[in-house]
Amino acid sequence: MSPHSRPKDDASPAGQNRGAAGAPGQLSPILELRKATKKYAGVPAIEDVDFALLPGEIHAIVGENGAGKSTLTKVMAGVVNLTSGQMLIEGRAVNPKTPYEASALGVAMVFQETSLVPTMTVAQNLFLGHERYFNRLRGIYIAAQQFMQSLQFDVDPTVVVSLLGAAKKQMVEIARAVLHNAQVIIFDEPTASLTPEEKKYFFDLMYNLKARGVSVIFISHALEEALLVSDRITILRDGKHVVTDDKVNFNRARIVQAMVGRDLSQTLYGQRKTTVRPQGKRVLSVQNLRMAAMVKNNSLSVFAGQITGVFGLVGSGRTETFKVVAGIMKRDFMHGGEVLLHDKPVRYYVPAPAVGDGIAYVTEERKIEGFFETKSIADNLYLGLLAKLKGKRPLVSRKEAAEVGTHWIQRLNIRAIGKDVKAIELSGGNQQKVVIAKSLIQEPDLIIFDEPTRGVDVSAITEIHQLINQLADQGKAVVVISSYLPEVMALSDRILVQRMGKVVEEFSAIEATEEKIMYAAIH
Amino acid sequence: MIGALKNWTDQFLGRGGASITVPVLDGALKSNQMLEDAEVFAQLKAPEDLATDGDSVFVADGMRVLRYDALADGGAAAEAARFDRPVTALACLAGGGLAVALDGREVRIAGGPHDGRRWEGADGRAFLSVNAIGAASAGRILITEGSRTQPQERWKHDLMERGHSGRAIELTLASGAVREIAGGLAYAFGACLAGSGPDAEIWVCESWRHRVVQCGGARSGRAVLDGLPGYPSRIAPSPGGGYWLTAFTLRTQLVEFVLREPAFRKRMMREIEPEYWVSPALNSGNHVLEPLQAAQLRTMGVVKPWAPPRSYGLVIRLSPEGLVRYSLHSRFDGKHHGVVAAVECRGRLFVLAKGCQRVLRLTVADAERSLQA
Repeated sequence: MSPHSRPKDDASPAGQNRGAAGAPGQLSPILELRKATKKYAGVPAIEDVDFALLPGEIHAIVGENGAGKSTLTKVMAGVVNLTSGQMLIEGRAVNPKTPYEASALGVAMVFQETSLVPTMTVAQNLFLGHERYFNRLRGIYIAAQQFMQSLQFDVDPTVVVSLLGAAKKQMVEIARAVLHNAQVIIFDEPTASLTPEEKKYFFDLMYNLKARGVSVIFISHALEEALLVSDRITILRDGKHVVTDDKVNFNRARIVQAMVGRDLSQTLYGQRKTTVRPQGKRVLSVQNLRMAAMVKNNSLSVFAGQITGVFGLVGSGRTETFKVVAGIMKRDFMHGGEVLLHDKPVRYYVPAPAVGDGIAYVTEERKIEGFFETKSIADNLYLGLLAKLKGKRPLVSRKEAAEVGTHWIQRLNIRAIGKDVKAIELSGGNQQKVVIAKSLIQEPDLIIFDEPTRGVDVSAITEIHQLINQLADQGKAVVVISSYLPEVMALSDRILVQRMGKVVEEFSAIEATEEKIMYAAIH
Repeated sequence: MIGALKNWTDQFLGRGGASITVPVLDGALKSNQMLEDAEVFAQLKAPEDLATDGDSVFVADGMRVLRYDALADGGAAAEAARFDRPVTALACLAGGGLAVALDGREVRIAGGPHDGRRWEGADGRAFLSVNAIGAASAGRILITEGSRTQPQERWKHDLMERGHSGRAIELTLASGAVREIAGGLAYAFGACLAGSGPDAEIWVCESWRHRVVQCGGARSGRAVLDGLPGYPSRIAPSPGGGYWLTAFTLRTQLVEFVLREPAFRKRMMREIEPEYWVSPALNSGNHVLEPLQAAQLRTMGVVKPWAPPRSYGLVIRLSPEGLVRYSLHSRFDGKHHGVVAAVECRGRLFVLAKGCQRVLRLTVADAERSLQA
C-alpha cells in the first residue's frame, strides 16, 4: 500500500470506516468527495482524495503548506472545480461551479480574509445578495438583530463592518452562512488572527453550530487547536489523503509524522539555538515609520551579518513595513518617519532605486509579484539582473541570460529540466528558489525574505534555510518575516515581534521561547 | 533657492531634516537593568569625571580628586589632589601624574615629570568648557572643549542654541605645544586614541549630532558610530580591547521637536528656569513643575497620566572597530541616570552616574555572562 493511500482497514470503529459513505449502521456523510483531483497546469494540487464529512461534526483538515487543504475546501465551496472525481451532498452527485451554487447546496466557506463589504453595516452584509425589491433598513436591522440573538452572537447589526474586530467579523460571516441555510461551513485558518480570548469565543461558536446540526470543516496550522475542538481529523500531504481518524486516536507526534511523512519537524525546527552571530554594522534603521493604519510609529534596526526574524500575527504590519523599505509601498505623505540605509536617509517611491541601493525583497506572493510565470527561469533571472543595472544595459544579451540561468540553476540547485523551463511549470520550492535567485543576482546588502518557505516542499525548505544562513555568514543583513514560529526561531539571531503596526518586543534567539514570542505578539 | 524650497517643504511635510524621529534601542542596545542594579561604589557631592591608572580609580569630586582601591568594598577614599577650582575633566598620565581641567578654563598637569604645566587656550582662544581629557600618542593628551560660547554647566543652553563651536585639541606635555585637531563640533564631549602606531585614529564624541567621529588623519570627518539613540559623553579604552562609551541621556521625539522650533526655544529659554525646560536632563522626576507631568494619554479607552522621559543611564561597549557589542542601562524609571564617564580597572567597570552623583561598580565578566544568558 502506498504511504499516501488511505488505510481502509483502520481498526478504529469510529474512525476511518465511519467516514466511508453508506457504511451500515453508521451516519451517512452529508458531504463526500471521491477520488477528487484538481490540477493546475497539469500539476495536481490534490490527487485522488477521498473525504467524508458527517452531519453535525467538527472535522479538522491539517497538513503542511501546499498539502492541498485550501484546494480541497475550495472545491467543496465551488471556488475551484474538480479536474476529475466526484462530489456528493447527502449522497447526491453535485458539481457546484460557483460559490453561489455551493451556497444554494448548503455549503458556505469563511475565508481567511473575510468576504464582507467593509463599508456596509452588519445587517446589510447579512442580507447582501438576498435583498427584496423594496428594502426597509429598519426591517433589515430588526431581522438581523433577532437572528444574531438566536445564534447568541453579541454583534450590533447597525455597526459598519470595518469597525469590527476579527472575531466579530467571523461571527458575521458565520451568521451569514447560517442565515442562508448552510449545512456545511468551512473555516480556512480562522484562528490565525485571533487573540486567545477571541479563539475561545470562536470555539464556543463552533460548538454552538455543531449543536444546531451544522457540520464544520476547520483548517488550521495549530495542531493543538485541531486536537482540542475537532471530532475527526484528516491529514493531507503533497495533495494526497494520508489518514482520517477520530481525534482521540491522534496526538501531536502522530499528526506531525503524518503531515511530513517522516519525523522531520525536529531536524528542521527542533534544534534550539545556543549561539548567535555577533551584530555587525547597522545597515537599516527604520525610525517612527507610519503607513496608513497598518504601520504605526514603527522603529527597528537591521544589522549586517545577522538574521533578523520578524514575527507577528496577520495584520501586524510586518510585510508593510518592509515593503516601504523596499519601495514597494509608500509611507505616509506627511510625517511618515524615516528610513536610513547605511545611516543615510532614503525614500523610495518605486522599487528600482531600492534595488540599486542594494535592497532585495523576496516576496511572499511569488506567483503575483515574484516572477513572470510564462517566462523561462533564465529570462526571469536575467530580468533581475537588468533591474539592478537599470539603464546601463541597453541591449539584451541572450547569451548572458543563458549563462546567468545555468549558473543560478546550479548554484541554488533548482530542479528543472533546463534553464528554458517556464517558471509556472516548476514546483513551489523551485519557484521560490527562482525568486530568491532573482534577488541574489542583484548582489544586495540587505535581503528581506517574506514568508520564504510558504507553499514550499520540505526538502526545499531545508535548502532555502541553508541559503539564508549562508547569506548571513557572508556578512549580509538578512530579514526573515515569517508567521511560522518554529521557522523564525530556527533561523533568527534576533527576533522582533510586531503587533498592531509596530515592534513591541525583541528577543535574542537564545532567550526566545514560543510562549514568550506569542505572548508579545498578542498582548 | 532649491535648497530653501526643499527645507520649506520638508518643514511642512515633516520630512528630511524636519522629520522628528529617533533611533530605537534595539539589537545590542536593547535595554536591560544592569546599570540600575549595579553596586553603588561611592556616593559623592559633585562628581564630574573618572580616570584610572590601571590599579586605582580616580574620581573628580568638586575641587578634589579622590583615589579609590578598585577591589575594595568601597567608601574609603584617599584625597589624591586638591585644586582651587572645580575639576571638570580628569585623566591619568602614562608616565605618572594627573591631567585635570579646572572650571573648564584651564588644563593643568599635577604630579609626574610634567608637574605644573598648564594651558589656558588654544589657537589664541581661551578655553571655556574643557570637559574631557584622554590619552593620545606618547607624550600627548587629547582634550575636548564642548562649547566656546557656553561654560560647561550651561550645556543645556548650548544644546538649545544648537551650538556647534566645540573643538578637539591635542596638547604636547613636554613642549606645551597646542594643536587644534577639529573645530565646529556640535558639543565635543570625550576623545580617545583608537588603535596604535601609524594607523591610530582620534575618535571624538559629538553629542548634539549623536555620533562618534574621527578627527584628523586621512579620513577626518568619518562617522565611526552614527545615529546613536542618545547623547554620547566620554569614551575610554578597555584593557581587553574596544571602548566604553557613555551617553548621558536619550533622545526623545519631544526634544527633537523642540530643537526644530526656534521661536519656542527662545521663549522657553527666556521665561523658564533651565531645570524645567523641555530638554534632556541628567536626572528627572524630582519636581511637579517638570515639563508635561500633568499630561495624559488615552490608551485603549483609558486615560493615563504621562510624562515624557528626560533622563536615562547608558553605557555602551564598543568593539575595537567601533561596533556596538552590548550595553548597560538604567531605564527611565531608574535612578542611575546622567552617565558621563566609565572606566575599566582590574576587571571592574566603574561608571559615574552624575544624575544621582554616584559611582557604580560592575564586574565586567559577570555582566557579559549575564547578558549572554
